[in-house]
Amino acid sequence: MFENLLPPLNNHNLPYPDTIHPIVVHFVIAMVLFAVVCDAIGYFTKNSRLHEAGWWNMVFATISIFIAIVFGQVEAGLAMPYAAATGDLNLHTLIGWSLSGILAAITGWRYIIRLKSPGKLPAAYIGMNAVLTVIVLFQVYLGDRLVWVYGLHTEAVVEAARSGLLK
Amino acid sequence: MEVFDIAMNTWTPLLLEGNGLPYRIPIHPNLVHLTLGLFIVAIAFDIVAALYPLEKPIFKFLAIPVTSAGLYDVGWFNMVAAAVVTFFTVAAGFYEILLADPPDDIISPWGLNATDTMVWHGIGGVLLLALIVGMTVWRGFQRYLWREDRARQVQWSYLGSGLLIFGLMFAQGTLGAHLGGDFGVHVTADRLIWAGISPNEIDKGPADEVLTKSPTIGSREKGPQD
Repeated sequence: MFENLLPPLNNHNLPYPDTIHPIVVHFVIAMVLFAVVCDAIGYFTKNSRLHEAGWWNMVFATISIFIAIVFGQVEAGLAMPYAAATGDLNLHTLIGWSLSGILAAITGWRYIIRLKSPGKLPAAYIGMNAVLTVIVLFQVYLGDRLVWVYGLHTEAVVEAARSGLLK
Repeated sequence: MEVFDIAMNTWTPLLLEGNGLPYRIPIHPNLVHLTLGLFIVAIAFDIVAALYPLEKPIFKFLAIPVTSAGLYDVGWFNMVAAAVVTFFTVAAGFYEILLADPPDDIISPWGLNATDTMVWHGIGGVLLLALIVGMTVWRGFQRYLWREDRARQVQWSYLGSGLLIFGLMFAQGTLGAHLGGDFGVHVTADRLIWAGISPNEIDKGPADEVLTKSPTIGSREKGPQD
């Protein structure tokens, strides 16, 4: 019933001009990584201003990741992944959803730390930041492979998949 | 001549990744995440901070303690980081433009061919770098000299300029999306398709080839020569 309300799919197999997920993830990748940098420098220099910047960047990242997942699911559903690309797409989806939980939990933890001991961070939180950085970087790597190696939603791949040449 | 051959032999394998780069994943699009994320969030937090009196009840309802000074800190630190990172974003961009091998028979949705799109994207990159650095310097003057003792740390004209730059970034980003999504610049799968190879072959190494071939049994001469 709703499919007729959407614009027809273009040559990227999308109902809008270009992919949106890679744009929304700017705000997860950049904000998480910068929050980790701010927290680390703030931890060693005892600079509470940097801790404040770290906290707000994490808040922004946590809101953004849910929007990123919505567009990610829409674009994964329209991606027509071929055999070689499916493994990475599935893993990217699994880690993406997990990361929303992980980010929300860490930001919730951060909210409590900020209420109870403003301007101070426990070492365990810095350690958690390191783990988070590794997961985010791996997720970025997988997303990069989907776009730049497998070319999902690029004109050439969409054309090949539509004509049945690429499965 | 021999020296030349050796040089060629050491250099060609570097560029033999399927995307035309000496590494498997383009670097520029990844640094772009940082440039755009940091700049946009810097301006966004300065706007939130400047309008803080209006938002007070919302933050109170959410039970989040907020100081406008903390919000302005995000506006400043993120802008400084955006300026630093963007030098690398532009540098990586020009390196990858130099190694690009774009198709000449495709026109983008904006009516440009690949070379024109790359030229505009290159000019846009330098322009945006200059604007981001300029905004950072402007922000620094407001924070530490001109408005140090004011409740509102940023001028409205600064926030307005930020929003105009968002518009330029949208255009610049769309040109970049055309380069990857339409022209397939440095996209491994697209380049393989144009070369007549299925992208399903991407992750197949020499080992896969050996494993799928039926084993050859024969005399000693068929084995390794040395």
